[in-house]
Amino acid sequence: MTTTELTRTAARVENGIKSYGEGDASVHALNGVTVSFVQGEFTAIMGPSGSGKSTLLHCIAGLDTLSEGKAYIGDVDLASLSDRDLTILRRERVGFIFQAFNLIPTLDARENILLPLTIAGKDADTDWYNQIIETVGLADRLTHLPAELSGGQQQRVAAARALVSRPEIVFADEPSGNLDSKSSAELLGFMRRAVKEFGQTIVMVTHDPGTAAYADRIVFLTDGKIVDEMSDPTADSVFDRLKSLGG
Amino acid sequence: MIKTAFKSVLAHKVRLVLTAVAIILGVSLVTGTFIFTDTITKQFDTLLDEIYSGTDVSVRAETGDFSAGTEPFPANVLADVEQVDGVAVADGGVASLTAQVLDRDGMPIGGQGPPTLGFSWGETPSLNPMKIKDDQGRAPEGPGEVVLDANTVSSAGFAVGDTVTIVGFEGPDEFELVGVASFGDQDSLLGATIVLFELEEAMRVFGFDDELAGISVQAEPGVDSEQLAMDIAAVLPTGVEAVTGETEQNEQAADINEGLGFLSIGLLAFAGVSIFVGAFIIQNTFRIIIAQRTRELALLRAIGATGRQVRWMVLVEAFFVGLFGSIVGIVVGFAMALGIRGLMNLVGLGIPSGSLVLLPRTVIVGMAVGLILTMASALLPARKASKIPPVAALREDAARTPRRSLHTRALAGSAVLGLGVVFLFLGLFTGIGRAIVLVGLGAAVSFIGVSVLAPLAAKPLANIIGWPLPRLFGVAGQLARENTKRKPRRTASTASALMVGVALVAFFTVFASSTKASVSETVFELFPADLALSSTIQSDPELLSPMSPSLVEELKTYDELSVVSGMQFGRILIDGDTHLLDAFDPETIGQVFFLDPNDDALSLVAEVNSMIVATSFLESQGWVIGDTITIEYLTTGEVATVIVGSFESDDFSNMYVSTETYIENFRYQGDGFIFANAADGVTVDEAQSAIAPTIDRYGNVKAQSKSEIVTDAEMQIDQALALFTGLLFFAVIIAVLGITNTLTLSVYERTREIGLLRAVGMVRRQVRRMIRWEAVIVATFGAILGVLIGIILGWSVVRALADEGFGAFAIPYGQVLLALVLAAVAGVLAAIWPARKASRMNVLDAIRTE
Repeated sequence: MTTTELTRTAARVENGIKSYGEGDASVHALNGVTVSFVQGEFTAIMGPSGSGKSTLLHCIAGLDTLSEGKAYIGDVDLASLSDRDLTILRRERVGFIFQAFNLIPTLDARENILLPLTIAGKDADTDWYNQIIETVGLADRLTHLPAELSGGQQQRVAAARALVSRPEIVFADEPSGNLDSKSSAELLGFMRRAVKEFGQTIVMVTHDPGTAAYADRIVFLTDGKIVDEMSDPTADSVFDRLKSLGG
Repeated sequence: MIKTAFKSVLAHKVRLVLTAVAIILGVSLVTGTFIFTDTITKQFDTLLDEIYSGTDVSVRAETGDFSAGTEPFPANVLADVEQVDGVAVADGGVASLTAQVLDRDGMPIGGQGPPTLGFSWGETPSLNPMKIKDDQGRAPEGPGEVVLDANTVSSAGFAVGDTVTIVGFEGPDEFELVGVASFGDQDSLLGATIVLFELEEAMRVFGFDDELAGISVQAEPGVDSEQLAMDIAAVLPTGVEAVTGETEQNEQAADINEGLGFLSIGLLAFAGVSIFVGAFIIQNTFRIIIAQRTRELALLRAIGATGRQVRWMVLVEAFFVGLFGSIVGIVVGFAMALGIRGLMNLVGLGIPSGSLVLLPRTVIVGMAVGLILTMASALLPARKASKIPPVAALREDAARTPRRSLHTRALAGSAVLGLGVVFLFLGLFTGIGRAIVLVGLGAAVSFIGVSVLAPLAAKPLANIIGWPLPRLFGVAGQLARENTKRKPRRTASTASALMVGVALVAFFTVFASSTKASVSETVFELFPADLALSSTIQSDPELLSPMSPSLVEELKTYDELSVVSGMQFGRILIDGDTHLLDAFDPETIGQVFFLDPNDDALSLVAEVNSMIVATSFLESQGWVIGDTITIEYLTTGEVATVIVGSFESDDFSNMYVSTETYIENFRYQGDGFIFANAADGVTVDEAQSAIAPTIDRYGNVKAQSKSEIVTDAEMQIDQALALFTGLLFFAVIIAVLGITNTLTLSVYERTREIGLLRAVGMVRRQVRRMIRWEAVIVATFGAILGVLIGIILGWSVVRALADEGFGAFAIPYGQVLLALVLAAVAGVLAAIWPARKASRMNVLDAIRTE
């Protein structure tokens, strides 16, 4: 691996193993995964239920720890960080979009978007903030509480929050899982634009071929192992590949 | 269903313990009170058994309604009693409550604590509960000899052969300690100091003039005590009676029980406050638990449980929690009894130690209180649980039952509060029924009313209290504030528990400071005298104990004093009702005591058997000046007395006679008060130092300037306040635990939210800070409500007592502020556990979708 490649890698996992339980009863959710995510790329992780895709995402994002192997955000070995340092790394270098419950119910949309910055005690970059708000199309909803927003709007607020601190990498776990197709398209379109226009790195877990088709690259995971990869997917090509993997 | 409920209890041990703590504390206060009073009762019973073990019949003066303890009767009665058939031995004796032993430094022994009891030494061992300890001297046999109880001897460091100073009727005198006595096998008689003289000497020291206080009679074998009492009564003069030893023992036991009854009611009232506070906590806990288990309960409904069954399940769960709490509470009650004893001793009540007594009644009441408290508190939440629709198992939003509108809440709350206020006013201002019960009920109902209204105030108040937080602590502070606002009902009911405790503390504090202000006003208004002398002994709850008559004579010899004027006190009967009568020297009283007499009342009252009456009392009795009324005295019987004048001041006493009248109708034992003025050119301080040697020699007398009287009174008020605050402390602890409980449950409820905050970069310290400040806001909210209610309550009670000498209303701002700060600190403490729990939450568990 050359120096230039290192700088271009936003996150990577080397020989990642995640096991639960002890001895014979132990279950490997990840069974020797090695994968890198390149800067400025939109990667989707796909796989059937129980393939370990969410576990992989949690481990790269510093929400969970690997049993064996190493996970890096940039050059930082996550295992070397204390809880406090890991937390600060998350808030400064990583963004998150979850499937549901992304927002703090007591804070309005604007406050939710700025949350990572306020927690860190930092001021927002106004230009960047305005640019995100405009892109996400929520300018007239900023003073609304989450309960007053539709599901799609809530997820777009979550996406805006994930981007506001200009993280090196954004992790999304089934971000459109609870949305209707129109809202889903709006959210994914926004994520796509973030990659294209702002050079944002995004890693997304999904089981839906249509969703995965928004990505530049897809990594297929089965039984805790990377089994395949594909670039510039379309919904149909993903579907075919899944069928061949499943068969 | 029972099994499901039981499993549910066990599955949430922390929740069980936190809820149970409220029950445990409430129950333990109740059982502790019972154990404490039962223990004392048993100790007194044992004691009385010992005292009366050999006495078959007791001869004494008939005191009837004068009942100020023992009164003397002529000593020659003894000879008549000895002649009665069936009397084996008759021992005459005298007793005194006003003798005072001085320690080696000349300071009175006993102080405010256990009394000093003076007796003559009984010659007949079977009638004398005291005995000389082996190898520790002998019984007193003549003048100048004294025997003390073993406890006093050892604690004061005396030894047989020492010279001991004792202040008696004739003033301080020196005696040789010839023996050390024990009470049966006990070295101490409940901590009292016991002084024993030979009979003749005892008469001299106690001021008996050929008189006896009582005769103990032992019957010949086979003679019935009842019959003997009747036979003896036949030879007794009027005013002297004979009762069996058993009767007298029962009377004494009844007196003791009455005294303990007041104590026990007082303690139970505080236990009641704790239980009341506990009810808030338990209700709140069950409400939250049910909100959190909506899905589980809805699932039960969906698979076929009826609403009724769900309701029963919640109640059965409450039953188990209550059962657990009650059992532990009864056990903790033992510790509480020891604690109450410690607290009583701390304020100088001198309660002896001894093994604790647990009666079946204590257990039954404890269990009943715990179970009823828990189940009654769970009633409303259980009803709510039964209304959860089955569809809530599937859809989150279906669980939201429509909230009563704020309008309805405001109306309902105001109605309840209004009812409480009506009770309060009935109790305070009208005197219908039992005032204290009405006031207590009114306060309780008002508290409930305020707690119903409190959710309306929760949002705006939380906004104000939490105003600085976002500026100080950024997003953690902001979220803390928002969290208290999101469930105003929860915030309010958690705060309400603290409100009750703080309100009562604030009330007592306001009441105490108003009392202090009034005392100081009254003292400075009432006593123009430079110095007031009174006894340090309190032998009668209503009357000032007399000081040795020799004292006043001695004081008159000082040139530094210009006026020395004594005041005497006694009980009389008018139309069968007991009243207090005060007596003074009409010539000098005007210079030392403020009465505001009308016309020449003071000079007219110098006439023997005339009296002056406070105008307000005159009116209430329907008397007019010039009336002749009949006063019944214990010593002289019915005496026609002329009302010769009136006075305005009713701060002290309603009726006054001259000292001459007093001496004619009472056994004069000394002055209760002696007032003195410094001579011209002598300062009060100089006068005080001049008479100090005399004061010190008597030991049981204090000579106080006006400001010292005020300080003294303030100290006593502070002691009472400390006692009340100490007892309310338990209610406050329960309330603080309630905050912990609510927060812990809220943290659990907000698992996902806290997980999200952690995921997007909140460090543990920030999470802890968020929870901590949430607790501080809730606690401060409760404290502010409490302080407001306390002050209002204090104001109304002070106003209601305005006629009884309460002129001043004072708010102790410093203490009120301190209460608010302490409440905030309590919030910080209450948050320790939930904050820790929240910060330790696994981020992944928190955000996992399933």
